[in-house]
Amino acid sequence: MTPFPVSARRRIAAFAAALLAVAFSFGCSRKLPIDEGRLVIGLPGTPVNIDPRVATDAYGEQILQMTHASLVRRDAAGNPVPDLAEGWTTPDPLTFVFRLRAGLRFQDGRPLTSRDVRYTFAWILDPANRSPHRAVYRYLSAIETPDERTVVFRLSEPFAPFLSTMERGIVPEGSPARGYAPPVGAGPYRIDDVSPDGEAVLSAFEGYYGGAPAIRSVTVKFLPDGNIRFLELKAGSVNFCLNGVDPDALPAVAQTRRLVVEECPGGNVSYLGFNLRDRALADVRVRRAIAMAIDRETIVRTIWKGHADIVESILPPGSWALDADIPAVRYNPGKAKRLLDQAGYRDPDGDGPFPRLRLTYKTSQNEVRRNVATVIQEQLRQVGIAVEIQSLEWGTFFSDVKKGNFQMYGLTWVGIADPDIYYHAYHSKSVPPEGANRGGYANPDVDRLAESARREPSKARRREMYREVQRILARDLPVLPLWAGRNLLVRDRRLLGFVLTPDESYAAVRAMRIAPPARGPGQGTSR
Amino acid sequence: MRSYLFRRLAQTFPVAFGVVTVVFLLIHLLPGDPVEIMLGESAVPAQKEELRRELRLDRPILVQYAEYLSGISRGDFGVSFRSREPVLREIAGRFPATLLLAGTSLAVSIIVALPLGVLAAMRRGKAADLLSGFAAILSLSVPNFLLGPLLLLVFSVQLGLLPVSGYGTARHLVLPAVTLGLGMAALLTRMVRATVLEELRKEYVVAATARGRSRRAAVALHALRNALVPVVTVLGLSFGAVLSGSVITETIFSWPGIGRLLMQAIDARDYPLVQGCVLVIALCTVAVNLATDLLCARLDPRMRYD
Repeated sequence: MTPFPVSARRRIAAFAAALLAVAFSFGCSRKLPIDEGRLVIGLPGTPVNIDPRVATDAYGEQILQMTHASLVRRDAAGNPVPDLAEGWTTPDPLTFVFRLRAGLRFQDGRPLTSRDVRYTFAWILDPANRSPHRAVYRYLSAIETPDERTVVFRLSEPFAPFLSTMERGIVPEGSPARGYAPPVGAGPYRIDDVSPDGEAVLSAFEGYYGGAPAIRSVTVKFLPDGNIRFLELKAGSVNFCLNGVDPDALPAVAQTRRLVVEECPGGNVSYLGFNLRDRALADVRVRRAIAMAIDRETIVRTIWKGHADIVESILPPGSWALDADIPAVRYNPGKAKRLLDQAGYRDPDGDGPFPRLRLTYKTSQNEVRRNVATVIQEQLRQVGIAVEIQSLEWGTFFSDVKKGNFQMYGLTWVGIADPDIYYHAYHSKSVPPEGANRGGYANPDVDRLAESARREPSKARRREMYREVQRILARDLPVLPLWAGRNLLVRDRRLLGFVLTPDESYAAVRAMRIAPPARGPGQGTSR
Repeated sequence: MRSYLFRRLAQTFPVAFGVVTVVFLLIHLLPGDPVEIMLGESAVPAQKEELRRELRLDRPILVQYAEYLSGISRGDFGVSFRSREPVLREIAGRFPATLLLAGTSLAVSIIVALPLGVLAAMRRGKAADLLSGFAAILSLSVPNFLLGPLLLLVFSVQLGLLPVSGYGTARHLVLPAVTLGLGMAALLTRMVRATVLEELRKEYVVAATARGRSRRAAVALHALRNALVPVVTVLGLSFGAVLSGSVITETIFSWPGIGRLLMQAIDARDYPLVQGCVLVIALCTVAVNLATDLLCARLDPRMRYD
């Protein structure tokens, strides 16, 4: 016995078919956010905080680039250019005088004056507020506001990277820190609503000094899952995603005619760190042998699908201080073996199973990083170095790196704004907890140059000093710079005007506009 | 009944205490320093020490444990290191989303499992039974992190019927709830089938059909109620699994619930928030299991005297 008579089953089948047809037609004709003039950004993570005085994570900073204006901002080469300040002077190396633009206003209508600038930095410097940025401004000895439009910063000692630290969103005087509710800013977009773990809804600020942005409504969705970002783009519910689609998925994205992919050199430099306290790795010949045994071109081609640039320095491509003439480390496994022989690590059994040397390689659980580790493991095996990969949860991994509990590790420098990174990462006094010299590198020449360069007001002389540092580091190899992943933007082809920069800045969102739908086939809202 | 209730309530205290202790120790034993994560690399050691003192992380771990126990006994779960918001406020902001997801998933699993399980039992060995068995095995075999994107691909990208991610409307709820509920539905379907089959063999069902009741009525009016006791027990036990499974599902669908909050808290080594989230999940699981036992005792009075 069947549960339904034949006629009833036919009716059910007809109903199901009709339902499916309606579903398909609904799916094909739905209106996408871009048709409503809305930019929907898929952010590849959740911001921890959206207050310029305390935010340290990249995602928070990226939202702030749209909502909060600072005294200066950086151009594509990392040079400070005026933002709220119309200009500045440095009468002496210890004094910076900023002149604010006339008629500045916050998004709530209050005028923006020098007092707000002083308040923002004083708030950061107040220990009671626990701002993670306090140490950055430790050279500030006084902030003076002689008039409404002039701010004078006095330093306790010369600090050449000072201007780059002025890229900090200004908030109105008296703004309390209120968890997830960010204070108003003076950027091109105001934050209308933020739902933690959900999205931030922004709207154009009419009183922005540079003119109100053309796109009136922006939604920033927090999407930590790569598959979801991909699907949101395919569905059209997200129409802009910067560095949120894996290189593997790009061909599938390119199949969607509505979407286009753009790329530019990126500013995040991956490197292989060595522990110079380790007996084997203390020998520069071993470090160089490892460097020569790693075929970076193959890794970039296979894992990054070509969307990365091989680097010889930890400064990002395009940085004003980069020395483009540093001798490159060439892939040469034969020479690597000879260097290992010279260092006393001879092959015990020719092509047999016993290695010359055993090392551990620590990395995070990120899939791309694990794949990179596996390839490096295989490439080093071919010169007789047995590598054990330890893929650790991020907190554990980073804790081990900071404690010096590693032989080799793979990590990425993100958002290097100034070559003063060399003091932070290679000065002998910068061993954790003081800085990021995790491998325990010490070279008096590097110490001297890094110290002098951070006090040197002349940019040309700083550049020379940093070039010298880069040449020494290329010789000593305390780390092996690997590659800089290219910035990949997937956007709806109707979104125009965004300029990709190496620092992944969202500042250019204010210059974007939406082109009218094309009338030709395959354009408009088709998927 | 009352003494049974008190006895069960008393049993929840050692469980809660055990959870608090284990979570406290585990999170403190994990490598990774919340101060380093909060202040970043630019902070100087003095600043880190200052913050460590302020967060009372400079005290011996036993003192920290005693302070934490004292706090939660007063209902004070502490303040999140990350957001500086009270932990309970953080959790209260996210828990409704998780409860909604977990509750809807349970509803999905019941709606699917009960009719399918009964049908499979009544048509044992026939196409409906084989088909439901195959579907159950398939659902159990496909993990959430695969099922979620597959459903999204069909219903959100291809058909455009449902949003890919987000929260706030019933349409947002459908796919996460189905993803989380289907695996449980598979387990329940097999459970309902087995218990109904067992009941169908019993004499009271034979007697009911001998008295002229249809087989369908005998199942609906007699067998199903008795078959429900083990099913309700499994449902109660599954609730804990649903809550822990929500960690993955919430991440996949960008669902702003406690699972996603917990993941972020672990990454940031936000000790008070991790402890608070796990404790709340554990207490919910205990509470649901207690409610399940009470419901079972109501369905089968013999259980009260066990």
